[in-house]
Amino acid sequence: MDMTPIFGDLTAIAPMIILIIAALILPAVHLLAKKRTVTWAVALVFVIVSLAINVLMLTDNYVGTALDLVQYNAYSGLMILLFQIVLFLAVLVSNASVETTRLHVGAYYSLLMGATLGMMFVAESSDLLTIFVGVELTSISSYAMVSMKRNDPRAAESAVKYVVIGGMSTALTIYGISMLYGLTGSTDIATIAAQTQLEGINLMFGIALVSMVAGYGFKIAAVPFHMWAPDVYEGASTPVSLFLATGSKKMGLSVFFQIFLVMFVAGSSCAAIAGEEVQYLFAIIAAFTMTVGNVVAIAQNNIKRMLAYSSIAQAGYILIVMAVMNEYALSAGLFHMFTHVFMKGGAFLIVGALICAGIGEKISDYRGLAKKAPFLAFAMMLFLFSLAGIPPLAGFTSKFFLFSSAIGSVDGVTSQWVWLAFVAILNSAISLYYYARVVKAMYVDKGDNTEKIKIPKPFLAGIVICVVAVIVLGVYPQLVFDFCETAAAALL
Amino acid sequence: MEISLLTLLIVLPLIGAIVTLFMGGERQKYAKYVAAAFSAITLVIALLVMFNDDMASLATSFTWIQTADITISFSLMVDGLSILMVFLTALLSLLVVIFSAEEEDRPNYFHTLVLAMEVGLMGVYLAADYFLFYVMWELTLIPMYFMISWYGGPRRHYAAIKFFIYTHVASLVMLIGIFAMAFEVGSVLGHVDFSFATINTMMPQMADSFQVLVFALLFFGFAVKMPAVPFHTWLPDAHTEAPTGGSVLLAGVMLKMGSYGIIRVCVEALPAGLDYWQWVIIAIAILSIIYGAYGCIAQSDLKKMVAFSSISHMGMVMLGIGCGTEAGIMFAIFQMFAHGLITGILFMVCGMTGHKVGTREIPLLGGLAGKMPIYATFMMIGFMASLGLPGLIGFWGEFPLIFAFYDFIQANDMLWMILFCLLSLMLTAGYYLWAMQRTLFGPETTKIDLTHAHDVSKTEGIALAVLVVLVAFFGVWPDAALSFIEPYTSSLILGVI
Repeated sequence: MDMTPIFGDLTAIAPMIILIIAALILPAVHLLAKKRTVTWAVALVFVIVSLAINVLMLTDNYVGTALDLVQYNAYSGLMILLFQIVLFLAVLVSNASVETTRLHVGAYYSLLMGATLGMMFVAESSDLLTIFVGVELTSISSYAMVSMKRNDPRAAESAVKYVVIGGMSTALTIYGISMLYGLTGSTDIATIAAQTQLEGINLMFGIALVSMVAGYGFKIAAVPFHMWAPDVYEGASTPVSLFLATGSKKMGLSVFFQIFLVMFVAGSSCAAIAGEEVQYLFAIIAAFTMTVGNVVAIAQNNIKRMLAYSSIAQAGYILIVMAVMNEYALSAGLFHMFTHVFMKGGAFLIVGALICAGIGEKISDYRGLAKKAPFLAFAMMLFLFSLAGIPPLAGFTSKFFLFSSAIGSVDGVTSQWVWLAFVAILNSAISLYYYARVVKAMYVDKGDNTEKIKIPKPFLAGIVICVVAVIVLGVYPQLVFDFCETAAAALL
Repeated sequence: MEISLLTLLIVLPLIGAIVTLFMGGERQKYAKYVAAAFSAITLVIALLVMFNDDMASLATSFTWIQTADITISFSLMVDGLSILMVFLTALLSLLVVIFSAEEEDRPNYFHTLVLAMEVGLMGVYLAADYFLFYVMWELTLIPMYFMISWYGGPRRHYAAIKFFIYTHVASLVMLIGIFAMAFEVGSVLGHVDFSFATINTMMPQMADSFQVLVFALLFFGFAVKMPAVPFHTWLPDAHTEAPTGGSVLLAGVMLKMGSYGIIRVCVEALPAGLDYWQWVIIAIAILSIIYGAYGCIAQSDLKKMVAFSSISHMGMVMLGIGCGTEAGIMFAIFQMFAHGLITGILFMVCGMTGHKVGTREIPLLGGLAGKMPIYATFMMIGFMASLGLPGLIGFWGEFPLIFAFYDFIQANDMLWMILFCLLSLMLTAGYYLWAMQRTLFGPETTKIDLTHAHDVSKTEGIALAVLVVLVAFFGVWPDAALSFIEPYTSSLILGVI
């Protein structure tokens, strides 16, 4: 559907406008209504409206710019859709989760919207500075959200860690950006790419590049910049962990695509000079990220920490895109980001739901869960097997495309990245071990009692959505993969 | 919409699995009837397919995933290579359901797992698209994992996870090989198509060095499943701990996935690879045959012994494939079928030993024939069939294979290698007869309490009797099975060599 009659010149930021309004009025709504459920309902309505508008724009293939600043196209539309789904899941369960209902809910929802706005802004940007601003908006909102769980010392610790490390990564990033600006006189990514080709690559460009990779590497928790992630995800309340692990990380990856892929592939001007080295840099980061994430996850006893390390590993898989640097890989990577939202989001939802039901975060607390909550155990098994890449679930299909992109493309087999595919595949096998450990705890081990447990309805709804998505995207990937292909073509 | 017979072969067990899954509580004692009904109908359809005049016309295909560069289709087909495996899968699934009628621990889930396994196995043997093939290949792992870790023996957790991860790694390596083939063929056609038809016809024309490399990847994946020494260590553990029904399916049809894959993919699509690795394959085959046989002698657990004998017999299959001749491949396929029927008997008998006598440790057993005559008869027939007694199906699996191997080494002036075969025949006869003697004959054991030991129950007897009849039938008239295989192998040899 055409949105221009309603939003005019601002159509390109229509989904954002809705959320801006929401972010601004939600604290007031809470003040007036004094009931957290009302605030929640209002927030949810805004999210759904924004989601609906974006879906209509995306299916309408809308392309346009707004404010001479941001551009909406197939790529940004798809990323925005992803962020909105994450936001929807997080908001959906926030009113039911025992961890978030005691917060200042008006401010809490407002911060969630703010963080998402930052992500959406990033997705529509093509300039280093606007990307930077978007990332900061998200980061600062996230710091506040993590620290909101005030009575828990773990939350305080994780918030401090998050802020300090976040601050450092910001400093690194802006340092890199300022050097690039000094070299090329522009912050526009395409201009920088063109300029670099004229002047060649020097040491300063290299330093700028490395500091930006490091700065944004913190955001996606790529090894060796990953130490904060498990602590933060463990300390934050589960809906916030869900939001950070699935949303905020995807923003970081999107930044990687938008800056480095565009610089080294789209213009292909830089690619001729430094593409190879950059590809190897990313390949090594990817290999280390997935290996460290998976190996350390084996040793975890806290399920949130285990999921945190597993999402580090998943980011490693997606970084294969940065090594391979072609359109097929990008569409595969986008698709994997989508499936990851549902499988990792679903797993976090179950953890959150069980916390509400009084079950702890230790893997040993999950013993005999199949007897206590058959559906939850089954859903958890689906999500974990999907993360491990067992067919016919979504995680398998997206890994199938992603790993195959490292082997080759329609142009034939490229032996350059086959080793990376091997590393990824070995990692997949390692990951099966710790996922299977949870499955074993749920299905094989005997629990202390077999009393049926009840979980709040919104959690159940969220989990059902994720289960359906994990199965449907596994059996019928076409549904989203077409969009991923268009998006990849739009970006590159 | 018309649903083809082949789709039904996959869909029916799937529906059965879902139905039994929800038969909890009071209804769970009826789960076996539902499972039996679904697997029986599947068997009937498998027979309809088998005796269809024109098997090729049954093939069905529709597009599943279509992206800019990649086509993946849901396509099924059946030919001389797969039809016997399809029949075996349907038959053994039904027999396992009948055999396990007395399962009392959550019977509905047990039958769900059996039927889910049938879905995966049918899918592997019917798939005509590499994506579908891989999906189904992996799909068989999950029910087996649960089968072992829910219904298995004391070390079941270790065995289940070892089985799961071991075979998962192997299939991932295989997946890399599949990618490589698909993209290489895709670069020629300008479009990546994962169907067997495209890849298996185009691959033989690719560069020899490429074929050699991809062959190694795929062969590794299949060899672990078979399993060939030195990748066999998961099998004895899995078998020792698995419940009887699981073992029957595992040895009877799941191991065949490996040899099926080697013939379907490695031989059909990568003839240059087969040529290059031929002696390595033969070496691995001989190693499996001899090592498996020696392993049998060393075992004190009856079931573990049968597991090692599977390694040895699957080595025979690989030997036939390694010869690369028409006779070799033809009887390799026949041996797959024969071994499926025979191990069905063997594992059922071993499972009964543990269940009825209380232990499977051979040193503790003895003189069971007097107490359990029917059991002893079935065991004897199974062992005799497995060691290749003429008149039973095992003979037609082994003897022609050795003959084909003889032909092959004679052509290569390496006639001394036949000694390995003689050694294996000796060892096989040796360990079976020795085990039988210690278990069934001699004075009745006093080391364990035999007062509660009872003979074969009615349902178990039916399942075993069906297998024994088939073993004897194909033993007397092997042509009944060979007539399916022969058209396939002769066209394969024409196309490949």
